[in-house]
Formats: sequence, C-alpha cells, structure tokens
Amino acid sequence: MQILIVEDEASLMESMVSYLAMEGFRCEQASDFHTGVAMLDRHDYLCMLIDLNLPDGDGLELVKLARENKSESGIIIISARNAIEQRVEGLKAGADDYLVKPFHLSELVARVHSVARRTHMDGGEVLRFGAIKVEPEEHTCFVEEQQVDLTRKELDLLLYFMANRNRVVTKEGIADYLWGEYGGGYGSYDFVYTHLKNMRRKLMDAGCPDYVRNIYGVGYKFSID
Amino acid sequence: MKLLTKSTLYIATLSLFLFFIMGVIFFQVLRNMSLSDLNRELVDMKEVVELYLDDYWGIQVGALPGIDSLSVRPAGSATQAEYIFGDTLKYDVKNEQYRTYRYLQYISQKGEENLLVRIYKSTTPTDKLVERVTLMITLMVILFLAGIFILNRFIFANLWKDFFEAIEKLKRFETTKEPVILGEQDIQEFDELKQVLEVMTRRLSNDYRELKEYTDHTTHELQTPLAVIKSKAELLIQSEKLGAEEMKLLEAINTSVHQLSRLNSTLTLITRIENRQFTEKEEIKLTGLLDRHLELLEEYIGLRRIKVQKYYKDGGRALFMDHGLADLLVANLLKNAIVHNVEGGTIVLETGPRSLVIRNDGDPLGFNQEELFTRFVRNTRRTGSFGLGLSLVKKVCETYNFSIDYSFDKQQHTFTIGLPA
Repeated sequence: MQILIVEDEASLMESMVSYLAMEGFRCEQASDFHTGVAMLDRHDYLCMLIDLNLPDGDGLELVKLARENKSESGIIIISARNAIEQRVEGLKAGADDYLVKPFHLSELVARVHSVARRTHMDGGEVLRFGAIKVEPEEHTCFVEEQQVDLTRKELDLLLYFMANRNRVVTKEGIADYLWGEYGGGYGSYDFVYTHLKNMRRKLMDAGCPDYVRNIYGVGYKFSID
Repeated sequence: MKLLTKSTLYIATLSLFLFFIMGVIFFQVLRNMSLSDLNRELVDMKEVVELYLDDYWGIQVGALPGIDSLSVRPAGSATQAEYIFGDTLKYDVKNEQYRTYRYLQYISQKGEENLLVRIYKSTTPTDKLVERVTLMITLMVILFLAGIFILNRFIFANLWKDFFEAIEKLKRFETTKEPVILGEQDIQEFDELKQVLEVMTRRLSNDYRELKEYTDHTTHELQTPLAVIKSKAELLIQSEKLGAEEMKLLEAINTSVHQLSRLNSTLTLITRIENRQFTEKEEIKLTGLLDRHLELLEEYIGLRRIKVQKYYKDGGRALFMDHGLADLLVANLLKNAIVHNVEGGTIVLETGPRSLVIRNDGDPLGFNQEELFTRFVRNTRRTGSFGLGLSLVKKVCETYNFSIDYSFDKQQHTFTIGLPA
C-alpha cells in the first residue's frame, strides 16, 4: 500500500521518500495543495503525510477534505508549527497524529506504523521479528511463546526498533520518541541506555538472541544478522 | 509623595513661617503703640491730678475723668526725677477678679512735702483690642491657607489634568499595543511632552514588532532547513559504505542539529509566552500537577538515586492558568532540581496556600545570582544546556503575576514561587 506525501520542501520530501522506501513503502508525492487534492482519491493510501504550510493552500483543508471523502487512510500532519492549539485543531480536523518539524525519519516511520496499525488493523495484530512476537494492542511480548514482562517504555522501545528494523536509529531519536519534550535538556541520554539495557537483558534472559548492535556510538541497529 | 501633597506642603510650610514672623512683629508693634498711647494718656492725666493734689486727702477718684485708680502717699525725702511707667495687677472688687493696670509713678513736690503719686489706668480695653486684632489675623491666615489649598487642588484638577492623563496612558502602554497619543494641548510644555511620548512609544512599538516578527520568522524559517539537515544526516547514517571515522563526523553533526532544533523550539516558546499567546485558563490542582510530573521524571530521578520529599500543606490549592504553561513551569523547575542535584541528593517540595517551594541539594552557582533567570546563563560545567529553562520559568511567572525568588544556603538551592491569593 502506498503513502501519500504532501510537502513543498523538495529536499525534505526526497529524504522522507528514500527512508520510507528503505522500509518498503511506496510513496506518491505532491508538492503543493492542488496536486495534493488531485491525488487524494487516486489510491486507498495506507497513510498520508500532510504538511500544513503549503504555498497555495492550507494543509488542514486537505485533511478535512480527505475526511469528507470518507477516506480511511491514516493521516499524520507534519508541521513547523508547534503549538497546542494547532495540534488540537489538526487532530480535530481528522488527523491521527501530529509531527513537528524537524523530526527524526525513524520517528516518522514508527508513527506511520503505529497509525497504520490503528487504522487498518482491527486490533489483534501480531508483529514478529526473529524470535520476538509482539501484540501491540495487548501490550504483550513473547520470545518463542514465552511471555516476557516488559515495562510500557521498554515495549515502546522494542516497537520503535521493530518499525525501524535494519536501520540505524540515533539515541536522540529514541529519546524524542519515548519521552517527547522530556527527552531533551538533560545533557545526557543515560535513561535511554538504562531502558535499552533492561530491554535487552529481559529479552536475552528469555532466550532471545541479541538483535541490538551499537553502530560506532552513533546509534543502534536492530537486525537479525 | 504626590505632587499635590508635596506642593501644598511647601506652600503651607512657607506661609505658616511667614505668617508667624509677621504675626510676632505685628503683635509687638500693636502692643508698643497701645502702650505708648496709654503712657501719653497717663501723662496727660498727671496734669489733672496735680490740680487736685493740694488737697489730696479729699480727692474723689471718681471725680477725675479717665483715671481708674490713684494712690498718693508721703515719699519722705526720696526724690525721683523721671516718670516711671509700670504694669501691675489689682483686685477689682466690682468684678471680683484681678485686672492688669498701667501706672505712672512720680514724685510731686507740694511745699516741703514730697508725695509719691501713682496713677492707674486699666489696660483691659487695649488688651481686648490686641486680642481681637490677633484673632482676626489668625482667622485670615486660616482662610488664606484654605484658599491656597483649594486653589492648588483646582490648579491640579485643571492645569495638570492632561499630565495625569498622560501618566495613566503610559501605565497602560504595552509594546504590543498602539502608541500613546494625547489630545490637543494648549500648554506648551505639555504639548512637547505629548509629542515626545508619541514619538517614543511609536518607536518602541515599531521596534518591538519588528524584533518580534524577525524572531518569529527566523525561528519559523529555521525549522525547514533544520528538518532537511536532520533527515539527510539520518539517511547518511544508514549508508553501509561509511566507516567509523565518517560515522563520528555524522554523530557530531547529528548532535549539533538536535541541539539547534531544541534551542529553536525553546526560543519560539519564549516568544509565544511574551506575545501572550497562551490565553486559555483552567483550574489545575497544584499537587496533582507536581505528582504527574514527578511520575514522568521518575526514571531520571531514579537514575540519579534522588530522594523526593513532599510536604503538601496547600489545602487543595488550584492554579488558574494555561495548561501548557503550567506544565512548562513545573517541568522546568523539577528538571532544574534534578539536573543540578548531586548523586543521591534530595528534592524537597513544599506547597502552601500561597507558595510553592522547590529545594534541591547541589553545588553553588558558578555565576552571579542576579543572572540566574537571564537567557543563556548556565553552569559552564554542564554541556547540552542552553540556560533557557529558568528564563522560561520566569516568563511564565511574569505572565500570571507569580513572584519567584532564589536562595542558596547549606548546599541547597531554593526556588520559591509566590502565588496570588
């Protein structure tokens, strides 16, 4: 299934398309409001990523239009505007999520997965990665059918890794995804290490191979090899 | 002190002083005049008395016009060349009280006999006159002062009206609003004031608006290039072709871009608070707010083995403010208390009906205490901090008229937020 991206900044569009392509998503691109309107009904998209600030219109109108057309696609607003009112307005218009620029591509992918799960699966979905099985709706995790007791944060971290499998994710990206505004400003990412350590230990204790690899201190890669 | 009070006080002090001196002089002159009048009268009477002195035992005082009393007695051989004037008290049988009298004493030679003569004249009429005049003058002074007072008020109410109006308008002036424009002025000085104020406030408003627009635009326009750099760096990190060296470089870029975007969003936030863009008000329970944030920060508190002591004595104190700003305030204060704490230290939270106190262990500030709430002032030993957290806190406090104080004692930092009633 495709993803529709409506974004006027060509360079950012390119980045999103490349990263999503690595994850196996095919992307339709619209660089302005009118192209966006024209492309709204072309496919039954898995998810739409809509920038609010478009040169010839308001992205919010696009969101409303999509909802009026009974589109069941997940919609994520990507915007440079970071105000609670704008978030509320965006969500009221029918968006499923709101991502503030500048964002991590890894976070974008995690959110796309999450929104897609909510809009296209009727719960009961099972995610698998190697020996790991996760039921996101139930907040449960299994290694070879043996339940692993992960905390909420550890499970979120695991889902984040699974959404970005085989990619390098940075510790800043993890912190932003798990703690949002609380992620920054402490001058260290100690709590990222702690959660990561605990998650790895619990999984390995259950007999799971260690899938997390440290990549030159830049970040981590979750992969089977 | 008010201008009116002060000027009235000046005028009153000066006029009272002048009136006092004038009163004393006037009183003296009047008294001297009346005394010399009395003396002259007594001397005149002496001539009449002399006529009767030959038969001084038979003198009927009542028969001598203008004389209130007379005493004559033998003076022996005493001689006295000059007249002696004096004042004395005599008992007045008729009115049953003492009265003051002016007397003239002299020696009269009748043949070989020397007689000591004293002619008395009551001073009551002259005293009464002086008294009356003094009373009138006092009354005039009081009337004069009252007049000055009323005149002063009148002058202030009318002449200075525009001046006070200008002050009122200046008080209400905000950089975000229209410049101060006063009505037509017929007093030259006020007209100048009007023009100066108009030019000044107009420039202030313009400068402020331009600066605001500049910050708004800059922070906003920075978002997109930042997003591009961030995404490109992230894509580059995925490349299989890069070695450890290149990855190190990318890591540095990544970290800096991350910091830059945080700085940018915080500055945007400060601008928005300054612009009073947070207008929603809702009731937020202070203790609930604190507990919620403690829960969110739980992991970080645990990581540094910090102990939290709560003393909630607020009796369900609620804040009426924007929810986002309340979060911002508490989050930054708590974050501050955690970051600047020592390993295994404590955080003490005290809430009262009118205050919130946050105390934490820590080393003294490495800079001047007055600069604590200023932007970009931070402990240089820590990296990754911009020193914006407390200036955010201060901005939120200013928005809602909360007071904020800081003190350091016994290796403890204390922040006290004073809440309005």
